[in-house]
Amino acid sequence: MLQISRLSRADWFGPLLATIIAIVLIQSFSATFLSAYNIEILLLAIAVNALVAYAQMIIIAIGQMNLSVGAIGGLAAISFAGAMEVWGLPAPLALVFALFIGVLAGMVNGILIRITGISAFVITLATLSIYKGINLGITEAQPFYGIPESVKSFGSAILVGPIPLLVAPTIVVTLLLWFMLRRLPIGRFILAVGSNDHAAALSGISVSKTVIAAHAISGLLAAIAGVLVVARLQIGQPSIGDDWLILSFAAPVIGGAILAGGHVSTMATMLGVVIVAIITQALVLFSIDPFLVQVVLGAMILAAVGLNRLRARQPLKGSM
Amino acid sequence: MSAQDTPSAPSPNSSTGDGRQTWLRFFLSNEFGLILLIAAFIVIFAVSTRGFLSPFNLFSLGRNSAVNIMIGLSMMTVIVTGGLNLAVGAMGVCAAMAFGWLIEVLGLPWPIALLGGLGMGAALGFINGWTVVRTGLHSFIITLATMSIFFGVMIFLTRAESYRAIPDVFSALGKMKIATYLSPLLLVTLACALALTWLYRFTVTGREMLAAGASPAAAELSGIRVGRIIILCHMLSGVLAGMAALMLVARNGAAIPSMAGQLGQDWLLPAFLGPVLGGTLLQGGKVSVLGTVLGAFLVTMLSSGLLMLQIGAFWVQTFLGLMLLIAVLLDKARRSYLTRRNLA
Amino acid sequence: MNTPFKTMALAGICGMAAAAAQAADDSRIAMIPGGPHPYFAAWEQAGADAVRDFGIEAADYKVPQKWELTQQNQLLESLLSQGYNGFMIFPGDPVGAVSTAEELAENGAQVIAGAGCFKDPSPAAFCLGTDTGNSAYLGTKELLAAMGDGEKRIAHFTGFLVDPNTQLRIDAVNKAAEEAGATVVQVIADIDAPEPAEEKINAYLAAHADEVDGIITTAWVPAVVAANALRKMGDTGIHMVGIDHDEVVLTAIKDGVIDGTMLQNPYGQGYIGTFALDKLRSGCTVKDDAPFASNALTDKFIDSGTSYVDASTVDSYIDAMRAESDRILKDFEATYLTCN
Repeated sequence: MLQISRLSRADWFGPLLATIIAIVLIQSFSATFLSAYNIEILLLAIAVNALVAYAQMIIIAIGQMNLSVGAIGGLAAISFAGAMEVWGLPAPLALVFALFIGVLAGMVNGILIRITGISAFVITLATLSIYKGINLGITEAQPFYGIPESVKSFGSAILVGPIPLLVAPTIVVTLLLWFMLRRLPIGRFILAVGSNDHAAALSGISVSKTVIAAHAISGLLAAIAGVLVVARLQIGQPSIGDDWLILSFAAPVIGGAILAGGHVSTMATMLGVVIVAIITQALVLFSIDPFLVQVVLGAMILAAVGLNRLRARQPLKGSM
Repeated sequence: MSAQDTPSAPSPNSSTGDGRQTWLRFFLSNEFGLILLIAAFIVIFAVSTRGFLSPFNLFSLGRNSAVNIMIGLSMMTVIVTGGLNLAVGAMGVCAAMAFGWLIEVLGLPWPIALLGGLGMGAALGFINGWTVVRTGLHSFIITLATMSIFFGVMIFLTRAESYRAIPDVFSALGKMKIATYLSPLLLVTLACALALTWLYRFTVTGREMLAAGASPAAAELSGIRVGRIIILCHMLSGVLAGMAALMLVARNGAAIPSMAGQLGQDWLLPAFLGPVLGGTLLQGGKVSVLGTVLGAFLVTMLSSGLLMLQIGAFWVQTFLGLMLLIAVLLDKARRSYLTRRNLA
Repeated sequence: MNTPFKTMALAGICGMAAAAAQAADDSRIAMIPGGPHPYFAAWEQAGADAVRDFGIEAADYKVPQKWELTQQNQLLESLLSQGYNGFMIFPGDPVGAVSTAEELAENGAQVIAGAGCFKDPSPAAFCLGTDTGNSAYLGTKELLAAMGDGEKRIAHFTGFLVDPNTQLRIDAVNKAAEEAGATVVQVIADIDAPEPAEEKINAYLAAHADEVDGIITTAWVPAVVAANALRKMGDTGIHMVGIDHDEVVLTAIKDGVIDGTMLQNPYGQGYIGTFALDKLRSGCTVKDDAPFASNALTDKFIDSGTSYVDASTVDSYIDAMRAESDRILKDFEATYLTCN
């Protein structure tokens, strides 16, 4: 009993339970849900969305928000495709270039927030507009089509069975991120700054460096997501990232992240992404109106923040 | 108090100080800076482009800024409480679609449908405000979720189709010209701005809104029902967002679901640009209606001027983002200067 | 993209130089699509060529940064203030765009609709676009011919549902199929953007490839995505007829992955549209008894032509489009306009 109650307090427990229940329920209504092809589609969606969610999660961890995740992803995506089509760079070099753009864009966010002391909301709203504007200015909203075969085949390759190769980068990133937040000093610094930046500064942590590092990581993750979308779509579409905003907040929040900062979980965020993917997929399977997907996503955010809040109150009640 | 106040409403402290300081304070205020910027850009655009001062351009500039100012005011009423409203665009479009539905499907006369549209805005604002108050969560995450919900329900109900049977009388408002230069829409917006100024300066409710935004706990102690006030602010925001959307309907002669972009996200930038440029800081408790109006006007003028300069429609967004960045940096510098001089 | 159009225009000069006389000396034409889309890219070169061939002051292609009526309106207002006085517009909304068109006309500008039409009544002199129903009908016929004998089950991938052309296309494909005793087993619409198109088409083909014998696509992006999907799937025995002249589609025809494509004529729209706007500016008026066609939106429709290209003609597809443009331009003035 004790163990179960301890388990139930872990961040990932609730989402995991919800995931399992959802899978069982949907499978019992529609036998095709766990078909190989459907699993492949699910995994493709999860591979990209998880990176998007991590990009936001790392900023939520320091108690800020990043509205420009989608804009950075889009800019990195067209940098990747554009470098290959226009400059003829080989794919690995183009990849490095795109990731560099992502890190740079993230660092600019972090630096601006630190030197101005203005809320991350306003700064990232401004940079969202700047990055998206640069994207449109370069592409004039036309996609880059010249994606080399190597990238295309990476995007459509299969690892084993129904598992596409595209999930590999996401798995690696997930493990690294988990290790970083749990074991590395930078991870501890990020969470410390998120829970109380004043106390963190007093205990000798450089708040500025930590904030800038977190934003750089966020930019990097968004850029990887952008590149993966290019590999999957096989074109460099300027509109990549336009619809990431809601999703990027939904998954970490469903995974129990607290927006005030200092408390996030990589695994729970991943489960949040899985839940969102399963439910959107189920709506398609049961031929429920695709227009309602947005409504469900919004309702899930509300339900999750409500639940998190209840959970946060409970220990207090117990001790009183 | 800070330098957000204009000389027309001297803060209690400065009324005892000497006049020179009041004027200095005005010259260092956001509003004065905006007026200077607007004047400078008018000169630049007039000299370097063809047709910037033509009657038609001035008219359409006024008409476009009418909508942008209204969007900015809609966001401002929530920022006052220290909150945000990401759902302005979604609420606006819902109000416009409700207006179109009442006319086309129920066959109501347009003035009643107009009230219905604004009522829809107020109702959605009530939902936002009520949820924020009851859950005690920050309005950012609540309105992020409701923006998705409102827009999704609207698209589901309308099947993403436009209502096009808008009466000619109503759409004529969008094209009408008063004395060659003036759009009636701009007059509506300015009337709203004046009403808001009156609200915040001379009414108890307005002062309670500011007090609730400055410090909810202190406001609660002094007997203000903070929850009700916050709900009221969100409803006001909904009505103003509805006004902005209905002005667009008048302009286009149709209620179009995509008029504020996917989820209404396209309104976010103008919504924040106006108040932030105008010096309404995001922490709440302070307000500058004049600043918001000037800020939104500056933004509209800049996008129009940049189009005229043939820089290319695709770069306009970058410039607006840079503008926002520069504005907050300047504001930061100005305030630290004021602090050093002990003026604030 | 530009080079073939230049060649095409150069070849066209000889035939068209005769029309160069009598141009209004201050015509500044603007061509404005509803938003960024590769279909309209040919308008830019067409405008430049028309400026050179007809001695027009300017004919510029200006793109709103998004598919959004507000953006298009602001761009149109700005262009009018900048002194443009002739507009070819793809309306961002067939009804919602009319009020801006009226304002342009009230300020003395000439307006025509290009590629898509305004809903009547509008100030547009006429609408110059593809007869989309006819194009879809002919394309389906070609597909059925390519499929030969045996079972004929067709999947139809098409564009935005809000585009009034989409319903015309669906009806036309159904009609052609019915006449040949074929069945349309699936219509997938609203997929004229790469991400949803990629998702829906691949999902459909992965699940139902063996239940389909032919694919007809009647919008740009679905044609590209479906051609890519067929290439990826290898030899499936599925026939396909695409639309428009995207590189991907043309290469797929050359490589035998798909059978052919229905060309539309955006270059001709830009070239003829600019020519007509300049004529209207110089005092010509539209004939009362001009032989306009009608469609769901307007009674003043002019077909800008369509033609089928397969592996044998794909290398000279430019000629096919030029032939269409020449044919329409040759007696355009005599057919539709009264000039003094």
